[in-house]
Amino acid sequence: MTAADKRTLPAADPRESGTQLRPGLWHTINERYPGSMIRKDSFVPQARLRKPLAASRLTLVSSCGVHLKTDQPLDVCHPFGDFRFMRVPSRAKQDDLIIHHLKYAHDDADLDINVIFPIERLQELCEEGRLGRLTPNFFSFIGYNMDPEKFERTVAVGIAEAVVQEERADCALLAPA
Amino acid sequence: VPTVSVTVARDVTEAIKVPRALFLPWPMGHHFGAPFHRDPQRRVVLAALGLLESSRESGTILDLPIKWADVRREAKTLTEQGRKL
Repeated sequence: MTAADKRTLPAADPRESGTQLRPGLWHTINERYPGSMIRKDSFVPQARLRKPLAASRLTLVSSCGVHLKTDQPLDVCHPFGDFRFMRVPSRAKQDDLIIHHLKYAHDDADLDINVIFPIERLQELCEEGRLGRLTPNFFSFIGYNMDPEKFERTVAVGIAEAVVQEERADCALLAPA
Repeated sequence: VPTVSVTVARDVTEAIKVPRALFLPWPMGHHFGAPFHRDPQRRVVLAALGLLESSRESGTILDLPIKWADVRREAKTLTEQGRKL
């Protein structure tokens, strides 16, 4: 290997450089998902909190695929994915919940749901008064699917409408698994 | 509705342009730490909520400098002691 070859090679592990950058990511996103709403030159405005956290109503949204054990399970076998989203009562406890998801290792989350869906930590902060209150329901779904346009139309819009109109949330914590 | 995202994939989060995010260089599925280890879970949640209040610029990504090795080591010790905190 010549010195010139070495200069053109990417770092062995991008995490070592602290950037975690994958070359060609934008090309991949815009080419593979042409229906995607966000483009490289998009600007996403930032909504601001209108009142202190201690007076705000918070919701939690995660793609971790958690739901009540009593619900019909999310479909992890369908080749295009499951385009439903699940409502998880914010008063639920660890024993009430189960994860259906094949695309990340949830062994630890099965032991303690709070490593990906910190429902009990949020309940505690609420009891301590650091958070005003929690919305009656939190939201979860499986992020992996093969039709991003349908995903935006069903899951993304469905959760956004429910967060605003049904739950009347003042702010949201997002945990993309 | 103001949102804050907790992420373990900085490049993907930069690409989709979330309004504000907290980045942890931890494994997928462990955004809030290790099982039964309440302290880091709480720290991550509080840092995210703090960002919800303090961030003023869209696309802000804050790094929380907690090493995964430390989280894992402490969690393992707690488990060995039979404590489920």
